[in-house]
Amino acid sequence: MSDRAENLLLALPGLLLLALAFFLPIGQMMLLSLSGPDGPTLEHFARFLGDSYYLGILWRTVRLSLIITAICAVIGFPLAYIMARVGPRLRMWLVIAVILPLMTSVVVRTFGWMVLLSRSGLVPELLRDMGLVGRSFGLMQTETAIVIGMVQVLLPFMTLSILGVVTRIEIRLEEAARTMGCSFLQTMRAVVLPLSLPGIVAGSLLVFTLSASSFVTPNLLGGARIQVLASSIYKSVTQSLEWPFAAAQAVILFVGILLVLVPYIRLSGARHG
Amino acid sequence: MMTSKLASTFLGLSALSLMAGTALAQDRTLTINSFGGAYEEAHRKCIITPFEQENGATVQIVTAYSADAFAQLRAQKDAPQFDVIHFSGGQEIVGAAEGLLSPIDEAKLSNAADLYPFAKANLAGGEGPAYSIAAIGLIYNSETAPKAPSSWADLKDPAFADHLVLTDISNGYGMLGFLMLNQVSGGDLDNIQPGLDAVTELLGNGAIVVSTSPEIQQEFAQNDAWVAPYASDYAFTLRKAGLPAKFVQGSEGTPASYITTNLVSGRPNQDLALKFIDKTISPEAQACFAEALRYSPTNAKAELSAEVAADVAYGEDGVKGLLRFDPKVIEANRAKWVEAWNKTIAR
Repeated sequence: MSDRAENLLLALPGLLLLALAFFLPIGQMMLLSLSGPDGPTLEHFARFLGDSYYLGILWRTVRLSLIITAICAVIGFPLAYIMARVGPRLRMWLVIAVILPLMTSVVVRTFGWMVLLSRSGLVPELLRDMGLVGRSFGLMQTETAIVIGMVQVLLPFMTLSILGVVTRIEIRLEEAARTMGCSFLQTMRAVVLPLSLPGIVAGSLLVFTLSASSFVTPNLLGGARIQVLASSIYKSVTQSLEWPFAAAQAVILFVGILLVLVPYIRLSGARHG
Repeated sequence: MMTSKLASTFLGLSALSLMAGTALAQDRTLTINSFGGAYEEAHRKCIITPFEQENGATVQIVTAYSADAFAQLRAQKDAPQFDVIHFSGGQEIVGAAEGLLSPIDEAKLSNAADLYPFAKANLAGGEGPAYSIAAIGLIYNSETAPKAPSSWADLKDPAFADHLVLTDISNGYGMLGFLMLNQVSGGDLDNIQPGLDAVTELLGNGAIVVSTSPEIQQEFAQNDAWVAPYASDYAFTLRKAGLPAKFVQGSEGTPASYITTNLVSGRPNQDLALKFIDKTISPEAQACFAEALRYSPTNAKAELSAEVAADVAYGEDGVKGLLRFDPKVIEANRAKWVEAWNKTIAR
């Protein structure tokens, strides 16, 4: 048996799983999105792209995902850097603290936010007591609530992606930069940040795709009035039973994420490939 | 040899007993559907168990909501498996038109004479009698609301402003409440725009939209909600959870969701099935249902305590205002209306 055949044999289970659980359903979904009462049609796509309501949902999905990704990166990078530079004992505790939320279901964590953000919840009460907001101020059912909830859910993905890269950055490089006269912040900007870019890119891809397709948190924190694409698909499937239209929306989400991913991967590939 | 002989005897015996079992079962067994959870519990206590004891019968329950049960009934067209089937979404109208349900001779139901006329409107056409009614009115917080609402028009009262909770029309009760708001705003089933405009106005005042009933409870418990158009049975659920919720019928009318019990056609023992239906519409069964879940009875002779009566549409006066939006029209327009609603509430 040649090396090539052996490799193929080893990869076979994975390829089969991918074909069965990914390409087959995606293919079916694409077919469904084109199906109409009288043969193949593009009307479902035309309906989506010709309606400002649905375009607004698409734009909100992309916009919120970008904001969530940016916030995760801004919080995640310093956190990962500190985790990489402290002693092993403290690092272990920090890793546990970051991973711990992943151990509970996303629904449970989201309900926690619902309690905190509702009209008589802790956060609005506090802001009201400090006189910063008016009497009827509430955070539930706002885009802010979605962003807060999603950042908490997705932060571990960003932090751990960056951590993997930062721990491999030679600490002597930083020391060298400092001896050459860089301040701490300059070292960060000129040495650490560029070297940890692959981790930031990988984490951003993860966070962006996960938040663009997430359903539970936006639905619970945003409520019925703030729709994102995933909840609109869900509504089309379960409430109005328009499966071809739901499939068309899913294809649009899928293609949209691909479009964002390709230049991102190119970017990181060109620098480090 | 010995073992095979024994085995064949045993087989023969068990086949015999199996046959006897089937014959017996055919006479005294009914298969019905119920809706699961607390509903099924009350169903069992108020109707099924007493019926089994009185008639020496066995009732097999399949847990299936109306839409599922109806899909099964359609799929089993040639060999139906249900004897009596219960619907809450108007499926009996379609089922009767398709011949899946048997016409019922009113004379064969001893309790039919006591039913309000609307509950037995089309027995001869195959639509079974309505045995309980979910009445959609106004649930309000009796402690913190500045005043008690009395009409659907009160929803637009600025006094309730951001303490008003609306339910998404993907929810069945939410749909009925919205259609009523539409009606009092000057619309009808051919034109829901006045209702959508009213919703826009209410949202402008700060009203909140929820999608499921537990969220209503959450709004009442945590966010000081004052008024929510919803079903009477849910006011009871809120009160059981310790919240000061009261139910009132809007003066313009009370949209109702009918829960019907229907005779499936093409089944061998329809006589027993009719007895079951008769038991279902009896005054004691309905009083028991109202007591357990706060659904409104359809039998004029059902006697309720004052406490229970306050929560439901009770007596001639109570049921006078009940109205039913045509389930066929709702079904035909659902997708279109839901989309229009989503666009209206979208921010």
